[in-house]
Amino acid sequence: MTDRDLPRLMGSGQPPRAPGDLQSMLLIARRGAVEALRDRMTLFVSLFFALVFPVGLVLTTVRPLADANGPSALGSLLAMYLLIIGLLPSSAAIGIASGQFAGEKEQGNLTPLLASPASNLAIFGGKVLGSVAPAIVFSVVAEAAYLGSLAVAVGTDRLRLLPVGLAVGMVALVPAAALFETAVASLISSRVRTFNTAQQISGLALVPFWGAIAALGFGLRSLGGLAVVVAVVALFAADIALTMIAAATWRREEVLAQR
Amino acid sequence: MIEAVGLTRRFGDLVAVDDLSLRVPDGAILAFLGPNGAGKTTTVRMLAGLLAPSAGSAVVAGHDVRLDPAAVRARIGLVTDVPGLYEQMTTPDYLSFFGRIYGLDGASCRRRIDDLLAFFELDGHRKSRMAGFSRGMKQKVALARALLHEPEVLFLDEPTSGLDPLAARALRDVILELKHDSRSIVLCTHDLAEAERLADEIAIIRHGRLIARDAPEALRTAGSTDMLVRVTFAAPLPHAPGLVAGLDDLEDLAQGPTGALTYRTRQPNTVNPAAIARLVAAGASIVSVSCEVRSLEDAYAAAMAGAEDAGTVATSAEGGAR
Repeated sequence: MTDRDLPRLMGSGQPPRAPGDLQSMLLIARRGAVEALRDRMTLFVSLFFALVFPVGLVLTTVRPLADANGPSALGSLLAMYLLIIGLLPSSAAIGIASGQFAGEKEQGNLTPLLASPASNLAIFGGKVLGSVAPAIVFSVVAEAAYLGSLAVAVGTDRLRLLPVGLAVGMVALVPAAALFETAVASLISSRVRTFNTAQQISGLALVPFWGAIAALGFGLRSLGGLAVVVAVVALFAADIALTMIAAATWRREEVLAQR
Repeated sequence: MIEAVGLTRRFGDLVAVDDLSLRVPDGAILAFLGPNGAGKTTTVRMLAGLLAPSAGSAVVAGHDVRLDPAAVRARIGLVTDVPGLYEQMTTPDYLSFFGRIYGLDGASCRRRIDDLLAFFELDGHRKSRMAGFSRGMKQKVALARALLHEPEVLFLDEPTSGLDPLAARALRDVILELKHDSRSIVLCTHDLAEAERLADEIAIIRHGRLIARDAPEALRTAGSTDMLVRVTFAAPLPHAPGLVAGLDDLEDLAQGPTGALTYRTRQPNTVNPAAIARLVAAGASIVSVSCEVRSLEDAYAAAMAGAEDAGTVATSAEGGAR
């Protein structure tokens, strides 16, 4: 330890002015996302679903179906798989969100952030964003892997059978669904004591949601473009509302009181 | 400056902190002593704006912890027994993250991080992830994080817990260096020697209640003016106890296996000269005479025992913690 005095930062004695909610939120999100991407287990599982699974699905399931179905049925089937392929890696957000609150609390590294001037909304929103961002990255990789392997395995001419509106709708549903999963997982994670509890309860709580999304995906094949837009917008609106409610009802001062 | 009145925290039926009032002036170090579960950490969390009090109030660095906890948090630094680091990050990245959260601009943040890393002798570990750091290094990083924004009040909750003796001593040296005219420091510890060395005042908490509070020296002597006297001889003097046995105000007379004579007295000014005169007259070759007042450990044990019928706080001075 040096024997010199620690130089002073400010002469005024006033603390620095804390950044706004949005800036704090982005700082917290960035930190959380980078940490999640450095986690080997998350990376391994997510890359399996993002790279291996789409290629395997195309080779073992889609290619035989492509030969057996007509152009119209094949197009909507390929679009439906866009949703499934995108959703699977996005579920990593549940584990990441569970780690962001309950996991950090268990490890003792949530306390410094709670002791900072960052607002409840900044912390909660930042952790939601930090959890969903890597999951969306994995989903994008998965969609690219799916489309790439489709082009190679069934040919670009059949790839053109994909109905553009429906395909865009299915792809747009993926981040909306991922955000919903993250908001639910964060809501639960911020209110329980352990990572495992958060992950298990979140998984159970989201089963009906996944069922609903699957049903929605099948329904959209016949409902048309407007229904797709409405579904995506409604889901994003629900995501934002849920995140805001979860942040507003989160009593930060009570997080460390759970014994 | 910290001022708390009637601070209380309940967890269901359990009263973790019960009607605690205290005052820590600027530039002072207050040490909380007490057994596990006494309420030290809960008190610190309430004062740090991390836990809402069930009753009572506290003003920390000029802001009410109940009404404006965010302003309190902007002005305090907190270090717990768990460093609580994001261990996959490097130290500069980690400190930079918290610097930005506290509102330091880029240039100030970088300068401050450089100063802190130099101060804590972590300069050589800039590029290493903190996962590979020793416990002492991690605790230094935690302390650097708590100091980034120059807090007016610093809360140190068992900061040396789990550290090896040398690392703990190094951290104590830092804490002493951090004592600044305008900075109040609250230290929770189980280590009596640490409290005695660092603190201007010691507050002993039991079952959430403040049972004693005073300067370490005053706590040691409070309620007892006993002095333990030890006389050692150059050559054995087996009949030494008999020579001084008749003196007034001399108790617990004993001779140890090395031949040293020990006794307790409340009147060292009269008893010691008389005892030494008798021993010298009997031909004793005295090597040393040492006098010890009651240890802090004795004072702590006495306070704990006396707290059975607590309700009042033992203190010798007004104006400090109450």
